Amino acid sequence: MIEVKYLSKKYGEKEALKGISFDVNEGEIFGFLGPNGAGKTTTLKILTGQLSADDGWAKIMGFDVMKEAKKLHAYLGVVPEEANLYERLTVGQNLDLFCRLYGCSIEQTNYYLERVGLIKEKNTQVKKLSKGMKQKVLLVRALLHNPKILLLDEPTSGLDPTSAENIHNLLFELNSEGITILLTSHNMEEVDKLCNRVAILNQGEIVEAGSPLGLKLAHSTRRMRVLIDEGQGLVSKELDMDDVESGPILAKWMADGKVRSIHSCEPTLADIFVKVTREFS
Amino acid sequence: MILSLKRIAAIAIKELHDFKTNINILIMYYIIPIMIAYIYDKLIPSMPEGFALMFGLLFLVVLVGMYVPSMMIAEEKEKKTLGVLLLSPATPVEIFIGKGLLTFVSILASMILLILISSGNGFAHWDVIFVGGVLTTIFCILIGIIVGLLSKNQMATGVVGTPIYMALLLIPMLGSMGSSTLNKIAKAFPTYYYNDMLYLALSGYEGDKTLLDMMSHVGILFGSIIVALGLLVFVYKKKGLEQ
Repeated sequence: MIEVKYLSKKYGEKEALKGISFDVNEGEIFGFLGPNGAGKTTTLKILTGQLSADDGWAKIMGFDVMKEAKKLHAYLGVVPEEANLYERLTVGQNLDLFCRLYGCSIEQTNYYLERVGLIKEKNTQVKKLSKGMKQKVLLVRALLHNPKILLLDEPTSGLDPTSAENIHNLLFELNSEGITILLTSHNMEEVDKLCNRVAILNQGEIVEAGSPLGLKLAHSTRRMRVLIDEGQGLVSKELDMDDVESGPILAKWMADGKVRSIHSCEPTLADIFVKVTREFS
Repeated sequence: MILSLKRIAAIAIKELHDFKTNINILIMYYIIPIMIAYIYDKLIPSMPEGFALMFGLLFLVVLVGMYVPSMMIAEEKEKKTLGVLLLSPATPVEIFIGKGLLTFVSILASMILLILISSGNGFAHWDVIFVGGVLTTIFCILIGIIVGLLSKNQMATGVVGTPIYMALLLIPMLGSMGSSTLNKIAKAFPTYYYNDMLYLALSGYEGDKTLLDMMSHVGILFGSIIVALGLLVFVYKKKGLEQ
């Protein structure tokens, strides 16, 4: 669905992208992670044809993003990081503009506004909406023309947990309807929850890529933490999964009824992110 | 290049919605030019006939024609809304036409209002006012779009635009009444010819010239539009629509 090969971009002397390559399969939710200034937004802008790359190429649904951007836009829905809506206009007027530009029906606007729970706000000026509501309007605007691919730049940045949860649920629904999603984020929990695969970008390079679970297993120390009750209170013990002695020890604790909880000690995506971005800095 | 009337209309309708809620633009379009014409016409008894209408029209066409499109483009850049318009099927040319269209129509409506409220022989010379006004408005809208493209944000349109606006408004006015040197300089500005058309038709000093007597002026204004269009293409290619 999306193919990126050796993509490079410089801003003056600063290398924003250093020949990155990745691909996104149809029906996937792909997360692009990275600290601020890592090159995430630059990559998205190149993929949408808003910026040209200095080297390398990118294709979306077979369209060259640099040469066939206008054709490609019919299949792309883009949600930018900043809420770039017309603040003085109402929600309906904002969406009507894009409906007219894409030649889609007004019913489409109502359908999506119903879906995100904003139909009652259709005649409300955008400047009176909360950040979460604006984010939903951006999402509706990106969906009006029934895109095949959604590109989202920090879709829940600055949102409270409930609003973020609403957006996540909507993204899951859209994905289950066949929309491929590429999102950038530095919210590790969000990426872990949403994405089938991720790529971690640091200083213009992809330093790690894979499924969230795959990455966590690859970076695991292969230890487990067992909380046992020794009679005088709870004690945390660690066992090595590769040590043959660990099995009998755990079995004995279990037989004695001491075990209160067992956790494998694989790192979180955030731990991996910090580790790999530090290693490559 | 194929232009879509539907997309141009979509952008113009959006501007119309925006225009209704934007008090600054409403004041610029209607209140200030009408106030200028009214003050000159009614409150300054020594003002020669036709001059109040001339000043009002010149202010309207030159200043409003440049200021409003520059603000529209700069605001879209500042709020980063142009980027998303460019991701839609709308082309930059359609965006420019859609944005300029409302200014164009509003200026024509204000011109009629000005003729209605001013004393003098505005109706007798509607053809001069209309032809000169239309051509100068198109020129000024193009210059306004260029100023918008060159400005980072709405504040910057003042810095970039004010010298241009003042040159195009004041030098032709001063040139038409000042020394021969200033007059020669003023002739390099297209707005001088619009000012002169209004003067020839409305002042009565030159025996009420008709549009046919001013075809060279019309030609110069037409040529100025072509030059402004070339300049717009050049600036657009250099700067693009986004920051």
